[in-house]
Amino acid sequence: MSELAQLSANGLVTGSILAIAAVGVSLVYGILRIVNFAHGDYLVFGAYIALVVNVSWGGHIVLAALAAVVLTAVLATALEFALWRPLRRKRAGVFSLFIAAIGLALVLRHAIFLAADARPRRYEVDVFQVYELGPIRLSQSQLVAVAIALAAIVLVGLMLARTGLGKAMRALSDNRALAAVAGIDVDRTVVLTWVVAGGLAGVAGLLQGLVLNSFTPNFGFTLLLPVFAAVVLGGIGSAYGALVGGLVLGLVTEISTWSALAGGAPPVYKPVVAFSVLVLVLLLRPQGVLGKARLL
Amino acid sequence: MTALSLEFWAFVGVIAGIYTILALGLQVQFGFTGLLNFGHAAFMAVGAYTMAILVVKASFPLWAASLAAIAAAIAFGLLLGLPTLRLRADYLAITTIAFAEIVRYVAINEQTLTGGPVGTIALAGPGRAASYNAEWLDVQRTVQDWLEAVIGDHATRDVTMLVIVWAVALVLLVVVDAALRSPWGRVLRSIREDEDAASALGKNVFAYKLQALALGAALAAVAGLFFAFQFSFFSPGDFDPLVTFFAYTIVILGGTARNWALPVGAVLFGLIFAGTRFFDFTPFTLFDSADRAYLRLIVIGLILIGLMLFRPQGLFGKREEMVLE
Amino acid sequence: MSPLLEAREIRKRYGGVVAVDAATLSVEPRSITALIGPNGAGKTTLFNVVSGFARPDSGSVLLGGERIDGRTPHAVARRGLARTFQTPKALTRMSVLENMLLAAPRHPGEQLWRLVATPGAGRRREREIRERALELLGLVRLDGLAGDYAGTLSGGQRKLLELTRALMTEPRLLLLDEPMAGVNPTLALQLLDRIRTLREEQGLTFLLIDHDLDVVMSVSDRVIVMNEGRVIAAGTPAEVRSDPQVADAYLGAHAGEPG
Repeated sequence: MSELAQLSANGLVTGSILAIAAVGVSLVYGILRIVNFAHGDYLVFGAYIALVVNVSWGGHIVLAALAAVVLTAVLATALEFALWRPLRRKRAGVFSLFIAAIGLALVLRHAIFLAADARPRRYEVDVFQVYELGPIRLSQSQLVAVAIALAAIVLVGLMLARTGLGKAMRALSDNRALAAVAGIDVDRTVVLTWVVAGGLAGVAGLLQGLVLNSFTPNFGFTLLLPVFAAVVLGGIGSAYGALVGGLVLGLVTEISTWSALAGGAPPVYKPVVAFSVLVLVLLLRPQGVLGKARLL
Repeated sequence: MTALSLEFWAFVGVIAGIYTILALGLQVQFGFTGLLNFGHAAFMAVGAYTMAILVVKASFPLWAASLAAIAAAIAFGLLLGLPTLRLRADYLAITTIAFAEIVRYVAINEQTLTGGPVGTIALAGPGRAASYNAEWLDVQRTVQDWLEAVIGDHATRDVTMLVIVWAVALVLLVVVDAALRSPWGRVLRSIREDEDAASALGKNVFAYKLQALALGAALAAVAGLFFAFQFSFFSPGDFDPLVTFFAYTIVILGGTARNWALPVGAVLFGLIFAGTRFFDFTPFTLFDSADRAYLRLIVIGLILIGLMLFRPQGLFGKREEMVLE
Repeated sequence: MSPLLEAREIRKRYGGVVAVDAATLSVEPRSITALIGPNGAGKTTLFNVVSGFARPDSGSVLLGGERIDGRTPHAVARRGLARTFQTPKALTRMSVLENMLLAAPRHPGEQLWRLVATPGAGRRREREIRERALELLGLVRLDGLAGDYAGTLSGGQRKLLELTRALMTEPRLLLLDEPMAGVNPTLALQLLDRIRTLREEQGLTFLLIDHDLDVVMSVSDRVIVMNEGRVIAAGTPAEVRSDPQVADAYLGAHAGEPG
């Protein structure tokens, strides 16, 4: 039983980070109409910005987090103007957008490799400090990560539900043409959506870096498929769905290694569990848990 | 190997030939049928690994192992296609990447089967290097002897490999081109244009998509076999999603559905990719080999973005065809 | 004479909206039947169900006495049912001629195995259908554009292409969704004439959706009226014209509109 409790706690940590990355992808889906293949690398960007502040400049991890959020939001906005908007103006189709996203992913990731090299990096945090809550043991990094992630989830959820911007984002995601007709300033909402998605990606990157202990610029791609799985599980086009999907997927992948489940899946296969969830959902219930029934 | 020597060009040429065959498979799936299959590298892996495992573990003769490898890739293609082909383009892409990653993970983790992360060098077990290449080297030597009679001293191992790979590539190009120009190919194109229209005209869209996937997989397996023969040993990392992205770059660069542009794209790609490893003059000397690897990938990424922004029809495609999309 | 097409108690809902509600109709062979009704009456949905593009929630569809509901669109098409779409699905990046050649049934060159095993059969069929395609295109004056991309055709021309392409499939029954929309009046009249001729000379059966009531009344043997997913009237043009329920349906539909 205590194994299950520990796995659930771990699952909550992974899941909450997946959730905030996934909600960014979901919000952006409302604009791009594709899942942004480069999103994982927005996370990596955030993680490395935080690294510069925390390790190179000796700044406190909180300052590093702020820098990650702000600068990734700036990156996301810049890319909207440099890449996504021109593509939309040219009425680029699904293929073109997807391929452009792949190109962007390659450029971002390897630019970071070029700037920072392939050595595994870590933040200046105390890795030995462990907190015990009953049968559960969490490192300081995990505790910080889950606290920040859950706070972010609550904030995003509130923003989406209560603020004008949130409503506009959801309207845009639902039906762009109708949103424009309803008087929503589409261009402004698009930029603000990128700001929010970029900020979320920045913090998700930092948190993932914390939880991984040491990381290289490849971690974005490694996380990308589980993030997509979370988005699809929760329902494409539903930001709340992405939050739910992330948390559920995190729990499912961790608990899949529980020894009570026929020995449990070998931990190295956790990504395979996530991929399998992705494939199964797309095949059996493509609209996910909270999504609207769309014809794929 | 120094830059711009015959060996260098032969090496670039072999890479280009392998990628031509790989890209041809993608051309059938994506260029003609509109399937955004992003698991293409996995077909290559299935081909290469099946051959290696059958030769080393089950003592198959090379020709049988190679045929089995192609059959295995086709089977995997059908397995992949059955559940995923009714998905929309970008969801198909993500699902196929997921499948490909599963293959890669299995290859990395099932050490006894595949040699694990270090690859086929460990296929025969710890401490013993696997040798499935022995038979191939015999074949190659035969061709090399014949070649010597034609071009004398220039008939090195690499040049021989170049001739073999490109002979096969050209035959495949001719055959597949003919298939794509046929009424069968016409149906594939109609599916790319508008599946519903094709369906309404009595075409079994699902069956045609499966055929395109299977043919593409077979071609990728052939590319995988030549990869195994050329490099002797390979590991899961050689079949990274990046390989699929490279194949896409070649197909899009040439302009989708322009079959004879594929070798051009592949050679260009071979130059950027293999070539820049060996250029030992400035400005290349400013970057060490790791950095050069990153730069190459940044260049590929920029090419893809640039093409989508400014020339989505590729180098040789027709503008009108894009405008009508 | 038994009907060529029968739809019995077809029900289809999308989410919370009932698009087709217990619709029942039949179409006699060698006839021209019009399907009319206000926008949103469920006509196109019914077409989708009949042609296999949508699965009915309940009810059945019979073509020539054989059940076809739930079959895939291509299976239905193979059984001799051709349909056109409200927005024509011309294959834009292929030529007009290729659009036509695709439609030809029983082409050995389209089967990968037969292409390899008996290439001659494919070539022969290709020659045959090329001739027939150009002939059909000539009848609607599109033969001059045979080599052009279908995407360069105007809206009206695309409608013509779609119709001609449907004929190329050698169907028994044609479902035409607003075949005259966007076509210039002279050409439209010629089209109607062709439809009549095809019915007379080749025994083809037509079911067409149209909003131009004059057209409908002049060319149809029978008219079926739908409103809010249900079939509310069926009979000769004269009978339907004088049916008070039909007038109500149209008035009701227009009640909320300005002018």
